[in-house]
Amino acid sequence: MKKEVFLKSISFIDLIKGLAFTLKTFLFTKPVTRRYPNKVKIYAQPGFRGLHALAKDEDGRMKCVGCGLCGAYCPSQCIHIYTTEGEDHKKVVDRYEVDVLRCIFCGFCVEACPFGAITLTEHYEYSAYKKEDFYMTKEKLLDNWDKYMSGEKGRRYFLDFWRPKSEDFTGYKGQAMFSKTKPKEKEQV
Amino acid sequence: MEKFFETIVAPGAVDFMLYIGVILLKVIVVVVIALLHVAFATYFERKVMARMQLRIGPREVGPFGLLQPFADGIKLFFKEDIIPANADKPIFYLAPIIFFASALTSLSVLPFFSGFVVADINIGLLFLLAMSSLGAYGIMMAGWASDSKFAFLGGLRSASQIISYEIAIGLSLVGVIIMAGSLNLSDIVIAQHNYPTGMFAIPQFLGFAVFLVAALAETNRLPFDLPEAESELVAGYFTEYSGFRFAMFFLGEYTGMLIMSSIATLCFLGGWTIPAFITNFLPFLSYVPGIVWFLAKVYFLMFCYYWVRSTFPRYRYDQLMAIGWKVLIPLALANIVLTGLVKSLSKGLQ
Repeated sequence: MKKEVFLKSISFIDLIKGLAFTLKTFLFTKPVTRRYPNKVKIYAQPGFRGLHALAKDEDGRMKCVGCGLCGAYCPSQCIHIYTTEGEDHKKVVDRYEVDVLRCIFCGFCVEACPFGAITLTEHYEYSAYKKEDFYMTKEKLLDNWDKYMSGEKGRRYFLDFWRPKSEDFTGYKGQAMFSKTKPKEKEQV
Repeated sequence: MEKFFETIVAPGAVDFMLYIGVILLKVIVVVVIALLHVAFATYFERKVMARMQLRIGPREVGPFGLLQPFADGIKLFFKEDIIPANADKPIFYLAPIIFFASALTSLSVLPFFSGFVVADINIGLLFLLAMSSLGAYGIMMAGWASDSKFAFLGGLRSASQIISYEIAIGLSLVGVIIMAGSLNLSDIVIAQHNYPTGMFAIPQFLGFAVFLVAALAETNRLPFDLPEAESELVAGYFTEYSGFRFAMFFLGEYTGMLIMSSIATLCFLGGWTIPAFITNFLPFLSYVPGIVWFLAKVYFLMFCYYWVRSTFPRYRYDQLMAIGWKVLIPLALANIVLTGLVKSLSKGLQ
């Protein structure tokens, strides 16, 4: 055994160094914990794909006409639409349901919709104790629009990130994009 | 009234019943306070370790997370009690009780402050060592009865570890016994108070060091927690235990830590007294009640347990055995020889 190694092993210098380090940390270093959700609120990044909502027009009526394109596109088949024939042969959307626990948040439904009726919001804190709470009915989805997409902020979010086909089929200059096709313009958001 | 009792039961019955009543009261006080300490030892450990790892630790249940131990206790109490199908049922039931009872029994001989001790027996220190080895039976039985390879290996490891380190612990305390001339813990504390340095940790530094290291192994704490090494044995000997039986092992383990810290405090750090040269220098300190000093020393040693735990990685099993047999036991023996020589020489000089 070398002299230094022997001296090290009988003086416990390494052990003492380790103990000193943890004591220093204990006394002087502040914890790095971010106390979400009580003290620190973490907001979604712009364009986050959160909880679903059904859009309303200016008169407060549901934009959805029940064409069923979203359900047809949906890869996880979590959108269920039931329609009936109403007065003067108009199509009536009886039920529009999204099984959020099955949704993969790809956003294809929003891209498919020709009327800009379904959208994803920035809201993502919707944990619950019951499975039923994650099964979004038409009423809940319309409520979500009022809660999370009302006002100018919601409108901008909807237009900038979802580029609804009902508004503008080709997009416009300064359009925000998810993909890296326009990395420079992303900073303008 | 007193006469009436004496005539119908036996002469001296009232005195006897009073005596029993006082002892029962003391037992209840000691057990309740010790279990509260154990409960908050888990909280204290989580807080200390969290701060050493740049975290905060429990803080959501109650103010500063102070009710966390009770929340954990309630959770454990209502958990499903699972018993493996092939378990040896009577032994499986008995093992946590033996472990927990032997840990709690040790509390009876600890003097917490001057004159307060449930059983002031003259072989207190020997009794403590006996109880801590009795706890090993609980561990071994749990490992054997669980019918699980992890529990079995954990039990085996624990048995050999506790037997090896018991020798070191016993030998390291012999120096204290020689210096104090008694096995009674109160007498040991008083002997320390009469000693010039006020605590035996200074003349018995070798024994103190051996005791501290061996106490870590004896209570299955890191860096010697091989009987319950998570990365190898899931949870070691109590892998198959759940619910309240698991809680008994858990409480027993933390009580064991509390007792080891208390033994170190009583035998090496002067128990409820502080050295005379300090009280001569700062006389107002002698008005502080003894329990404060005792608890401060115990808390400090508990803190050291957590400090060591959050600093060191686990030893390998052969390293553990090598430390026990090749380092600690020879050191403890050397300490005994030195202490004996000094004692007999100083006696010869007188």
